Amino acid sequence: MRTLGRVVLGLIYLFLIGPFLVIIAAAFHGGDTLTFPPHNLSFRWIIAVIENDDFQSDFLLSVALAVAATFAALALGIPAAYALIRHRPRGAETIRGLLSSPVVVSGLVIGLALLHYVVVPLNLPVMVALFVAHTAILLPYAVRVVSASLANLRVDIEEAAVLLGASRLKMFRSIVLPNIRNGVLAAAILSFITSFNEVPASLFLTGPGVHTLPVEMMLSMELVYDPSIAALSTLLTVATLVIVFAAERLLGLSRYV
Amino acid sequence: MERDGGSLTTRAMSASGRAVAILVTPATAYVTLAFLLPVAVLIAGTFQPNGALSVSGYARFFSEPLYLEALWRTIRIGVVVTAICIALGYAMALAIVGAKASARGQLIGLTILPLMISPVARTYAWVVVLGHSGLLNGLLVALGLTDQPFRILFTEGAVYVGLVQLFLPLMVLPLVSALENLPADVISAARSLGAGWGTVFWRVLLPLTREGLVIGGTIVFNGTVTAYITPAVLGGTRHLTLATLLYQQVAVTDDLLSAGVAATILIAMSVAASMVLRRVAATRSRLS
Repeated sequence: MRTLGRVVLGLIYLFLIGPFLVIIAAAFHGGDTLTFPPHNLSFRWIIAVIENDDFQSDFLLSVALAVAATFAALALGIPAAYALIRHRPRGAETIRGLLSSPVVVSGLVIGLALLHYVVVPLNLPVMVALFVAHTAILLPYAVRVVSASLANLRVDIEEAAVLLGASRLKMFRSIVLPNIRNGVLAAAILSFITSFNEVPASLFLTGPGVHTLPVEMMLSMELVYDPSIAALSTLLTVATLVIVFAAERLLGLSRYV
Repeated sequence: MERDGGSLTTRAMSASGRAVAILVTPATAYVTLAFLLPVAVLIAGTFQPNGALSVSGYARFFSEPLYLEALWRTIRIGVVVTAICIALGYAMALAIVGAKASARGQLIGLTILPLMISPVARTYAWVVVLGHSGLLNGLLVALGLTDQPFRILFTEGAVYVGLVQLFLPLMVLPLVSALENLPADVISAARSLGAGWGTVFWRVLLPLTREGLVIGGTIVFNGTVTAYITPAVLGGTRHLTLATLLYQQVAVTDDLLSAGVAATILIAMSVAASMVLRRVAATRSRLS
C-alpha cells in the first residue's frame, strides 16, 4: 500500500511538473523548428528571445503594469481589510463578498465589459485600460491575504499605542504595518505574478502594437514554429521558480496561497 | 453621568463608523465602478438588443447548434475535470498529510508551483508534449505501438489534460487542510474496527472532509468553465467552449449580442458556484 501510494504520488507530480521540464529541454534545441527531444543543443533561441526588441518592450510593459496594479490594489485593499477585521462593521460579509467578486468572474467578461462601457466611451489609452482592469482583478487577492495576516495580530498592542497617545495613523504605521509586513509582501508577490501572467482580460484591452508579454506569446503561438516561444516560456518558468523559491524561504508564501 | 457615558459611546461609535467608511469606501467604490457596473450594463444590454426589452438574443443563442454545443461542452468539461481533480486530489492530499512533517512542506511547495508559472508557458508545454511530432507521439512510435502519430492536440481530451494539471493544486490545498483538521488516528481507528478501505473512505473520510471537498470542487468547477487559455490553445477552433466562443464572437464575427449572452451565461454559472461556496461557509460559521 505504501509503495503503491508513493508510485501514484510520483506519477501525479510527474504530470504536474513534467511538462515544464519538457519545455525547458525544448528551448535548447539548436534547429529551426520546435522538436523533442532536442539535438544540436545551443543557447541560440534563448539569446534570440532576449535580444528581440518586441519581446523586450512587451516585457517592460508587463512589469510596469504589474508593479502599478499591485501598488494600487494594496493601497485600496490594505485599509479595507484592516477596517473589516478590526471594526467588523455591519454588512462586513457583504462588503467582503463585493471586494472578492472580480475573482469569480471570467477575465474575458471583465475585459469585454470594461472595453465597451468604460474604455471606449472615456477614450482611455491602452495602458490605463489595462491598469484599471488589473487593479480590479488583483484587489480580491490583496484583501484576502492581508486579512489573513491581520487576523493573527493581537488587538491589545494597538489599543495600548492609542492609549499612550499615538494617533490612529501613527499607530497603524508603527504598530500594524511592521507586524503584517510578511503578509503584505506575500500579497504583493502574488498580485505581481497574477498580473504578469494575466491573459483573458488583457486580450480585449490591448491595442494594435501594445501587448503584454503573455498576450504577445498567445498571439504568436499560432504563427511561430521555431523554439522561440519555448525559450521565452523557459525564461518565465525559471524566473518564477526563483521568485517563488525565495518567497517560500523568506515568507512562507504557500501559507498565503 | 449616564448621559455622558452615552454620548461618549455614541461619539466613539460614530468616529469608528466614519473611520470604517473612509477606509472601506475607496475599495468598494473602485470595484463598483471598474467591475460591477460595467458588467451589470453588459448583462442588461443582452435583454435590450434594440433598445426595447426582449429575449431575442437568448432565443437566437439557444437555437444555434454551434452555440448549444459549446454550452454543453463547457458543462461537460467542468463536470469531468472536477471529478478527476477530486479523485486525484484525495490521493495526493492523503499522501501529503501522511508524509513526514519535513517532506510535507516540500510536497505542498511542489503542488503550488504550477499555479505560479505563466499559464501560457504551461499550456505551450502541453503543445510540445501532445503535438503531432511531440514527445508523446515520439514515444509511441519509438515503442512500436503505432505507425502513425495520433491526433491528441486540438481534441477535447487535450483540454481535459491541460485543465486537470491547472486546477488539481486548487483541489489539493483545501483537502489537505481538511485532512489536517481531522482527529488524529481516525482512519486507523476505523481500520482496526474492521472497516475496509472503501468503507473508510465513504463512511469516515468523505463526511469529515466534505467542507474541503465542496470548497475545492466549486473553485475547480468555476475555474474550468471560465478558463480561456487552455481550451483556446489545446482545443483549437473546432472544440469551442463558452469562453473561446465569446472571444471569437468579439474578435472574429463582431457579434456583440451573442458575446454578451455567452458572458451572461458564464456569470450565471460562476454565481451559482459561489453561492454553493457561501452556503458551506455559512454552515461552518453556524457550527463553530
